[in-house]
Amino acid sequence: MNEEDLKTMIEGILTDMTSGKGSSEKKAISNTQGSNIASGTTAGSVASGEVLDDITKIDLRKQFLVPHPHDREGYLKIKSFTPARLGMWRAGCRYKTASVLRFRADHAAAQDAVFSDVDPNLPKEMGFLETQTTCTSKDEYLTRPDYGRKFSDEMVAKIKNGVTPNPKIQMIVGDGLSSAAIEANVKDIIPAIQQGLKVYNLGFETKDVIFVKYARVGAEDQIGEITNADVVCMLVGERPGLVTAKSMSAYIAYKPKIGMPEANRTVVSNIHDGGLPAVEAGAYIAEMLDKMLRLKKSGIDLKAAENAGN
Amino acid sequence: MKDDQILSVGIDLGTSTTQLVLSRLTIKNFASAFSVPRINISKKEVIYKSDIIFTPLSTQTEIDANAIKRFVANQYQKAGIDKQDIQMGAVIITGETARKQNSSAVTQALSGYAGDFVVATAGPDLESIIAGKGAGTNLLAKEHRKNIVNMDIGGGTSNLGLFSDEDIIDTACFDVGGRLIKVTPKEHRITYISPKVKELISSLELNIQEEMIVTADELKPIINCLVQVLENSIGLGTKSPYFDTFITNHPLHPENRIDGVTFSGGVADCLNETMPADEFRYGDIGLLLGSGVRNSLIFKEKTVYPSIETIRATVVGAGSHTTDVTGSTIAYTDGILPLRNLPILKIAQSDELLESEDLSEKISEKISWYQVENELNNVAIALVGKHSPSFDDVQRYAAGIVKGAQVLIAKHEPLIIMIHEDMAKALGHSMFARLPAHYPFVCIDSVKVENGDYIDIGEPIAGGEVLPVIVKTLVFG
Repeated sequence: MNEEDLKTMIEGILTDMTSGKGSSEKKAISNTQGSNIASGTTAGSVASGEVLDDITKIDLRKQFLVPHPHDREGYLKIKSFTPARLGMWRAGCRYKTASVLRFRADHAAAQDAVFSDVDPNLPKEMGFLETQTTCTSKDEYLTRPDYGRKFSDEMVAKIKNGVTPNPKIQMIVGDGLSSAAIEANVKDIIPAIQQGLKVYNLGFETKDVIFVKYARVGAEDQIGEITNADVVCMLVGERPGLVTAKSMSAYIAYKPKIGMPEANRTVVSNIHDGGLPAVEAGAYIAEMLDKMLRLKKSGIDLKAAENAGN
Repeated sequence: MKDDQILSVGIDLGTSTTQLVLSRLTIKNFASAFSVPRINISKKEVIYKSDIIFTPLSTQTEIDANAIKRFVANQYQKAGIDKQDIQMGAVIITGETARKQNSSAVTQALSGYAGDFVVATAGPDLESIIAGKGAGTNLLAKEHRKNIVNMDIGGGTSNLGLFSDEDIIDTACFDVGGRLIKVTPKEHRITYISPKVKELISSLELNIQEEMIVTADELKPIINCLVQVLENSIGLGTKSPYFDTFITNHPLHPENRIDGVTFSGGVADCLNETMPADEFRYGDIGLLLGSGVRNSLIFKEKTVYPSIETIRATVVGAGSHTTDVTGSTIAYTDGILPLRNLPILKIAQSDELLESEDLSEKISEKISWYQVENELNNVAIALVGKHSPSFDDVQRYAAGIVKGAQVLIAKHEPLIIMIHEDMAKALGHSMFARLPAHYPFVCIDSVKVENGDYIDIGEPIAGGEVLPVIVKTLVFG
């Protein structure tokens, strides 16, 4: 640094020091905003058009808040194996603000996934047959699981008239406990299953897919009885957690009947962008459907038959 | 799925020694019973280690093929194993022997003999990798989270494999070994000097030649020079003027940090601080070189970790660490496996983002590179793929691949696709929809390959859920 630069710098510092309180206050506010943990109440006096960064975009596996770690790389390595919130520096009732806000944001996303409905345009765009269980509201759906497994007589007639009877494969899409999961995965998984089934000379028409609002897994049993399908496959949104709100499962059963044992269902779970990708899950489900039709079994019975075959 | 087992053989034909191991690899489904399978190799056990014999040579430069054959037959018998039982394996011809003219013929003789799916491979880079894995350097690097280099000092060459957190990051090979000079054990009469050492002798102006009787002291300047090359090879000491002379193919890239060292190969058993009374006990300079290394800068300036295997590192690596399994959701047609020695044709990642039409052009252009004098051999097309792709992405890939591979399809070559991301089953189904009826194809994921690699794909295991694969970084011959 030469003398001239030094002079300019000192001048700058002196100007800052003497220019009064106003500007330094302003600086403090913009600093808080920059660090993601601004609280709306204290800085409320200044309305800026800026939008805070989305804290849910931070990759938790890489966020490491321990200030002076003995072995940073080692800790990050451990974190890379788990979505658990490790290395948040403070625990118990003394989490850091960033951790608390993130936790609340993830929790809110999970709640939203449960309490919001699947976009009503989705089943229309896809051309699914739209149905609803005997639940009349989200509250009733959450408090009365038994209502989520039943259809009214009127709805039974709608299903009967709406889809091809006695199919080999009956597909169902149910909102379940996460509408976000359905919105995220259905558009990719349905064509992937259809394409996979072609390998086995099987298939189903998209218009024969039944969309069920307020659906519990057991709803597939009654649909099995109504349609007299050989295999029923239900895609349903899973109860969201703090890791993802978009996880979907497929519950597949050979000739399901009301009251059949739960052990007769085959499950493909963890279908989301951080787990099993929807298209790959679709391909896998197609193979499972073929296997069940050939062996005429599902769930534990299918496993037993497969193991005996080995 | 029940646990499945693969019996694998590794045969190492080195410059000085030949050995064989039989390994049992256990394949296990790590997912719970009702989840999508996640199948991996859970256990690697060496179940039989052969005797170590000097590589039988019929002349100074020719391997005695029949003697090798007899050795292998004999060891199978001792182990109580039928050659039909062996599913995977690798014959590794290493060091100077690999460059001798006739070794490919020996490999061929052995390949036909030693089980149905045994592959002949070699090349200094691959040897460095498998020796490092056999020595357990990759596990040490992972455990200590350090960059650790394995120096496999054999008879003719020293193979360096640098590991960082279980992954190989660099390899190198030098023509430095324990049998560059051979002497008669009793008289200490020189029977062989390697060409590069002859060069060294003449430029050092030493009076040493074949048929002479020598002492350890007379060989000292040569040993010092070889040790200095090894020090230089991991960035220690002042650079020897002969460093470049002794490079086999390439040295390590100097920008990688090296924290620790492991030793394997025959010379790793000779790292004695003081010289034993009979320094020519093995009829070579192995003990002299070992002691030189023990007193070198390597031991002074680097952490030296104990290795799991020394003289057997390469053969254990060949038997246990060359086989891998594919991802657990894949697609293939029956009756076309096993496939061997397929060159990898890797599509540039930027090209993968292109629309299917442009992607197909890039693929067909690359395939044409493999067309030699209008002869086209099959290739395995490798792509990275997309994390959690949409259905449209998969369609784009499938359309691009099938169109781009028309020249292979016209010849009715099985279409072999390897994709890194977990999307092989969906991609396979999409290709099925676009290929002619009953067209043979294999579409696998979760195997990392690069241009220049070759791959063998074995018959399905674990109830058909996965395929065993051997990725070969360089094929000899």
